[in-house]
Amino acid sequence: MFLVAFFLCSCGEGEEAVKVSLDKRQEISISPKLPAITYAYLPQYSHTESFKRHQRLVEYLAEQTGLPMRQVFPDSFAHHVSMFGEGKIDISFSNPFVYVKLANRYGARAMTRIVEEGGRAEFRGQIIARKDNTEIQSVEDCRGKSWVAVDPTSAGGYLFALGHFVDHGLNLRDFKEVVFSGGRQENVILGVYAGLHDLGSIREGALKVVEDKIDIDQIKVVASSRWYPGWVYASSPRLPQDAVNKIKDAMLKLDYAHNPEHRAILDAAKFVGFVPSDDQDFDPVRDLIKKVGFDIE
Amino acid sequence: MSRYLLKFLYGLRFKTKIILGVTLLLVFFGLSIGLILSAMSSKALLEEGKKRGIALTSGLAFRLAEPLLTMDFLQMKNLIDNVHSQYDDVIYIFLIDTNKNILSHTFSGGFPTDLLQVNPDNQKVQPLLLATERGRVYDFNARIVLGEKTLGSVRLGLSRSAMDAQIHQQQVISLLTTFGVVSLGIVLALWFARTVTFRLNRLRESAEEIVKGNLNVQAGFSLEKNCWQIMECGREECPAHGDTKRRCWYLAGTLCPGCHGKEYPFKMETCRHCPVFKYNFGDELQDLAEAFDVMAITIKNHIEELTEREKTIAKQQGLLKTIMNVTPDFITLQDRELVYTFASKAFCEYFKLKEEEVVGKTDFDLFSERQAALNSLEDRQILMTGQSLVKEITFNRLDGKKWFHVVKVPVYDQEGDIMGLLLTARDISILKKFQEQLILSQKMEGLGRLAGGVAHEINTPLGIILGYSQLMMDDIKDEDLLENLQTIEKQTKICRKIVSDLLGYSRHSNSVREAVDLNASMQEVIQLVEHAFFLNRIKIIHAPDNAIPPLTGDKERLKQVWLNLLNNAADAIGLDGVIYVQSKYNIHRQRVQVSVADTGNGVDKEHLNKIFDPFFTTKQVGKGTGLGLSVSFGIIKDHGGNISAQSPPPTDYLPDDFSKAEHYGPGTVFIVELPVGQDGESQTENTGSE
Repeated sequence: MFLVAFFLCSCGEGEEAVKVSLDKRQEISISPKLPAITYAYLPQYSHTESFKRHQRLVEYLAEQTGLPMRQVFPDSFAHHVSMFGEGKIDISFSNPFVYVKLANRYGARAMTRIVEEGGRAEFRGQIIARKDNTEIQSVEDCRGKSWVAVDPTSAGGYLFALGHFVDHGLNLRDFKEVVFSGGRQENVILGVYAGLHDLGSIREGALKVVEDKIDIDQIKVVASSRWYPGWVYASSPRLPQDAVNKIKDAMLKLDYAHNPEHRAILDAAKFVGFVPSDDQDFDPVRDLIKKVGFDIE
Repeated sequence: MSRYLLKFLYGLRFKTKIILGVTLLLVFFGLSIGLILSAMSSKALLEEGKKRGIALTSGLAFRLAEPLLTMDFLQMKNLIDNVHSQYDDVIYIFLIDTNKNILSHTFSGGFPTDLLQVNPDNQKVQPLLLATERGRVYDFNARIVLGEKTLGSVRLGLSRSAMDAQIHQQQVISLLTTFGVVSLGIVLALWFARTVTFRLNRLRESAEEIVKGNLNVQAGFSLEKNCWQIMECGREECPAHGDTKRRCWYLAGTLCPGCHGKEYPFKMETCRHCPVFKYNFGDELQDLAEAFDVMAITIKNHIEELTEREKTIAKQQGLLKTIMNVTPDFITLQDRELVYTFASKAFCEYFKLKEEEVVGKTDFDLFSERQAALNSLEDRQILMTGQSLVKEITFNRLDGKKWFHVVKVPVYDQEGDIMGLLLTARDISILKKFQEQLILSQKMEGLGRLAGGVAHEINTPLGIILGYSQLMMDDIKDEDLLENLQTIEKQTKICRKIVSDLLGYSRHSNSVREAVDLNASMQEVIQLVEHAFFLNRIKIIHAPDNAIPPLTGDKERLKQVWLNLLNNAADAIGLDGVIYVQSKYNIHRQRVQVSVADTGNGVDKEHLNKIFDPFFTTKQVGKGTGLGLSVSFGIIKDHGGNISAQSPPPTDYLPDDFSKAEHYGPGTVFIVELPVGQDGESQTENTGSE
């Protein structure tokens, strides 16, 4: 026992230390960043998530076009819009509602639209309620009820549903309350699921995201809006047309079906491809904004 | 050396041994365990410190990803400063990007670029020990990774000295704890040793007391509650009630219902379930002490019993010795080697020896060789055969011939083996003498019968001779012839008298039982002889006791006794003397005594025993037949009385005013005693004759 004790005592002291001086100081400076085309993704998620999703695509585009390119991270939708206006964003990836704002305010030009899983470059909004809520069977039943939406600037999560309500003769005043969940689709679904609100508005496909968190069979889709054009890449008017074209070409070159490298890039970005787009594609959105009485100037 | 150590250890007191042993054990194990635990905890603390460094660095790396993406320097600085200021042992933190640009750090006044040279990027966060001017520092390098893309790395310096201080503190605490536990253990050992040795000493003292002979010891402790208090039985007759020294389960005959009257240790089976036992039972030492007490008390009781028995034995021995000393018999005990182990006082005195001179000796030491050889042969035969010997032996000694009745018996031990020889011998000289007398009496009785038979046969021819001689005397006128015939007649009459006396002696028949006035019968006889005696100047003084009641008997035969006695007295006097006849009635003994005393020439002492024998006479031939006293003896015996003679007579049998004349002889008195009331069959007393 004594031997064991001594053995244990003696070991652990045998670590060799590397001699390093903390007193030898030197003033340091950071080498400045090289100018590059800035790429921003409307901050739907955290910066790290945005980075993870789009870093490969950014690298691909930089490589394909031979242009230096780097991703920047706006803190919010409004910040995204303002950064675009300030010229800090050269290529914006945003929803159609934000795009219309950017186009109307700063002359953004639509370049491509993404093709999501299912092969559509359009999407629509859904009005959901708890399945056991018998009071809500149709859009008209939503009158006087509590509505939770994603964000005042959310297209699928708010605007499309509002347009649908307006088409059915319901205005914002006809609801008991309209609450926003802070930009998160999941929170809308969870709010309805928990019974905090009678109905919610989400973009189509959001239910799938939460299917491993809740029993989505408890949720019913009361109504869906019409289809609208989907997320869009737009370029700053300051970016030379040549560069825009190069980028657009590179985007359209991506082949999800046949090129595994491309597939990996697109999988990270959570869509399957691009279609060419121009500003006119977004007129229905402009109509919708007008219809619901929003000011987008 | 080790021998001396062992000797030293053996010599230590038990208490010291316990304390020494426990202390050594405690110190050894305490130190060992303390060292092991200390080493283990030191290691654990170090590991924990490293893990903490890893966790801090990794956490920081995770949180720094976002500001790194947005190049938010303020947030970077805030994050690292926050950690740096939060923990004193964090020496430095700095953040570098993939181009080795230092984006943020916690140093003020320049950056120690040496740090960039060590601890390059690792896949895993690993601490590297650095020796710096500010002590030893663990450097942690954590990469900031997003997806597969490395954005940079964060480096954190954690003071090893702080960890060492913590480890040191922990070591001191464990050392102190060990020391405290060991000290406490030693104190407990002291207490334990004291408790145990105190009780052992008490036991030892008790044992010493017992060795000294004091059995009133108590090694056990008094009980807090005794059995009768626990059971609340109130049975004072129980042997355990009031006995504070012994535990009830050691006592026999306790009255608790569970005891069933059994004794220790058979009652223990039930005692174990008894509340008294459960309450009072102690550990082995207490058990030992209590058992010791019980042993002491038991020994004491046994010793008292033994003392009592010893006393009894001594008393019996004394008694036996007294008997042995007092008994006139010779008693000796010899062992198998015929060595005397005991000799009675009578034996010793006879042979003029002391007991201690006899015990341990053999016959060869005490008696002549011839006698001893004879005895030895005889004794060995008895020891061999086991058959006892009875014999009579005689010794010729200065004071006469001695007869002894000797019995020799073998003595057996408990196994049935012969272990010795017991001799008893009794002096039977007197018995022998009586036997001789008895033989003589039987001889005389036979002779008497023979004489009686002869007399009867002779009586008839004598009658014829007398008749014919008297007839012839009538016819014969010749003076000479007549004188011859008269001689024949006279001698024939003498013969007839002799025959008559012989018949009277031998034949006890023809007696008539009637009431007899003793004094009257005596008076009649006196009147008959008074005149004839007077002629010889013999005076008869008669002193009757008038209180004498009539007694049953044959008057004529009694008169013959009186006549014989008076004639004998007169013959003894011859001329000129006094015969004193006296009768007395002893009312207590219911006897009448008649004495006839004379002033004659007395009887020689050697003849006194024989005067009642037939044909014994001192008179000249022709004067007496020698049958008078024999006949009188027979008559008196027939009446249940006895007759004796004394010469010279004691004064009791002489008149009060008796004056002895010069010519008087020493005189003789015949004393006749007769019973009154019964038919002569009451007590007869053998007064014997001197």
